[in-house]
Amino acid sequence: MQGPLIDTLARQGVTRRTFFKYCATLASLMALPPSAGRAMAEAMAAAPAASRRPSVIWLPFQECTGCTESITRSHSPSIEGLIFDAISLDYQETLMAAAGHQAEEALHNAMKENEGKYLLIVDGSVPLGLDGAYSCIAGKTNLESLKEAAKGAAAIVAMGSCAAFGGIPKANPNPTGAVAVSDIIKDKPIINIPGCPPIPVVITGVLAHFLTFGSLPELDKLGRPKAFYGETIHDRCYRRPFYDQGKFAKTFDDEGARKGWCLFELGCKGPVTYNACATVKWNGGTSWPVESGHGCLGCSEPDFWDGGGFYRALSMPADPLKMAATAAAVGAAAGVAITFANRAKKSSAKAAHETVTLADLEK
Amino acid sequence: MSLEDIRVVVDAGESSPYRADALSGNAPVLLHELAEHVRQLVAAGESTAIDLNALPLTPADLDWLKATLGEGEISVTLHSDGESTLAETACPGIWWVNHHNEQGHVVSRFIEVAFVPELVKAHPEDVKTGLEHLESLIFDLS
Ligand code: SF4
Ligand code: SF4
Repeated sequence: MQGPLIDTLARQGVTRRTFFKYCATLASLMALPPSAGRAMAEAMAAAPAASRRPSVIWLPFQECTGCTESITRSHSPSIEGLIFDAISLDYQETLMAAAGHQAEEALHNAMKENEGKYLLIVDGSVPLGLDGAYSCIAGKTNLESLKEAAKGAAAIVAMGSCAAFGGIPKANPNPTGAVAVSDIIKDKPIINIPGCPPIPVVITGVLAHFLTFGSLPELDKLGRPKAFYGETIHDRCYRRPFYDQGKFAKTFDDEGARKGWCLFELGCKGPVTYNACATVKWNGGTSWPVESGHGCLGCSEPDFWDGGGFYRALSMPADPLKMAATAAAVGAAAGVAITFANRAKKSSAKAAHETVTLADLEK
Repeated sequence: MSLEDIRVVVDAGESSPYRADALSGNAPVLLHELAEHVRQLVAAGESTAIDLNALPLTPADLDWLKATLGEGEISVTLHSDGESTLAETACPGIWWVNHHNEQGHVVSRFIEVAFVPELVKAHPEDVKTGLEHLESLIFDLS
């Protein structure tokens, strides 16, 4: 493990061992084998000197800056910041010192110098109404800026539910005609990192993957990295055994709520929401919504805002019997090889899942 | 009325699946896998790690595993961005590794099969830096 990055870190008091420990944990969170932790550490530590670091351009469109907040306020900024030291963040309105024409110049230089190679991060949706007039930067509509920046990008990261799926701006009646990045750009690899906001380690994990392996991680059918969005909140929820036993809190202050029973009947969208909150948690692993006593809102799914009410129970049947069958399958797999039991659990859980979309809630 | 006046009761109860005795039956299987890794270590010097967070293990399973593997002679504590402990088990070559964050929460957990875990060894570059420091200490003496 050697290279300019590790030297920079050493100057900031981050030792090699700290860095290796971070990479090991990151690999674990991404469900990569432990050996990948070392590979990541090696690759990131060897990141070339400033002039040749991979260029990243971050464009904000119709957004609330919550996504930026999520990342910059992650609990150990020095360590998450490591990832940002391995890249060259050439344009980020909220974080950059430059403003006005200088900022525009930085953007255009970065696009020209790194043509075909830079990673484009977008947060916020793109309004198409009134010819895009609802959101403009430097006299250009978001639509124009996106098309221009996407042209030379190696790949695009759609950060947060707005960029990934349209998010809150797209909520009914969608006054600005907001759409997702993938509705506009069709000829570039796009990776969606939804969440309102997304979990910080998910973005750093994706960047780490890009830096380490030079490629984007494996994606699901909604373009989300499988490592973090491979399972539902419900699959990994610690209240799940209560769901299986049919024990539900009926109000936020009844006996069931006090006993930590399942929040399904209080509107929890965990069963149809793919995200990593139940395992990674929030605020540096302190807690997460269900642990704090509130159901999942489904913020990493398309159109979560129009799901018919956060406190309305899903229309899918609470079917503990089906879940029992899944549990039996897990037991069988465990007898074969425990290392694969985890994977088996994932697929059997998936097979047992009814495809219930948030649209079904309206029924 | 302050926040403290609102009574918060968490009742795990009789039937709670989080009782300490809830074993999933997955832990004993892991011993076979470990034995295979130790054979590899002895035969080819190959070290491996198992990510315990990636396996369907309950807290009780982990306790069982830890108790069964027992405690060895040596344990190493790393102080960096929260504490990490690397403890050899009663089976030499098998190490129990816990990484904590600054708040003291376990952030990742591994069983490493190695003569010495990689993290314990000093990196040659760090040793060089150390040598420079030592030389400057000697220089200051003269
Ligand atoms: S419905 Fe919600 S609270 Fe209940 S087990 Fe599923 S994710 Fe957890
Ligand atoms: S628990 Fe659900 S609503 Fe809350 S952050 Fe996670 S995915 Fe979003």
